[in-house]
Amino acid sequence: MSIVTDLLAKPGVIAAGEYAYRGDRFSYRGALSEEHARMASIMCRATTMGANMEGRMLEVFQPRNGLSPPRGWVVHGPDYTVCVMANVFCMLDNASGSINNTINFMAQALAKASSDLI
Amino acid sequence: MATLDELMQLPGAMAAFEFRGSGELLEQRIAYPERINESTLDLLAHMCAANMSIATMQARGWEKVTHMKGFYPIQEFTLVGFDWSVVVSGLDRERFKDRGKASLPPFTGVVLANEKADYEAAFATMEKPEPAP
Repeated sequence: MSIVTDLLAKPGVIAAGEYAYRGDRFSYRGALSEEHARMASIMCRATTMGANMEGRMLEVFQPRNGLSPPRGWVVHGPDYTVCVMANVFCMLDNASGSINNTINFMAQALAKASSDLI
Repeated sequence: MATLDELMQLPGAMAAFEFRGSGELLEQRIAYPERINESTLDLLAHMCAANMSIATMQARGWEKVTHMKGFYPIQEFTLVGFDWSVVVSGLDRERFKDRGKASLPPFTGVVLANEKADYEAAFATMEKPEPAP
């Protein structure tokens, strides 16, 4: 099974998808329209690129700091949380999902993902 | 509002800090000064301020376009790094805005070692309501 399929089987996950770092492709499953999934993948990609730029800057500033290279990011809202690790995104319903389990699952499943953003 | 000392009690806490909306570091606690110093926290605070602003803009736009509610306002932004994560919260500021206050408290942040990080505990600590006056 793909990581997107695995994520969607987890409690509280309403949608999950993958995007290409170069921005020309995305795929998704779950409760989103095609156009909204496209918008989500563009926003997630933009933030991931920004986070990686910041990580590089931090690495120059303090070499071997534990934040570099960034592996992902999480935005926690009142009802929903967006978790992004490498080029995979996931939307989680806070009431029925576990943020810890989702982050840990994504971090393990994508542990060998390249940080080259290719 | 969680104090920096309370944030330092979280599992794997390496540093806790407060910063302005414009990113300036105001106050900090550092558990391992040989691994993370004030200058690094200052740059990190500026990064976190920028990320909170961008995430807030995206959540606002997302809700307007999709008519899905529950993303805005952003309560916490977390950057998951290779070995550490940083969690920052602006929820107290939102509470002040809801009360009509013009002067907002600082953002709070905590740096956690990934192997011990409990993100939900960090969120709960940061979201703890202020004690009644």
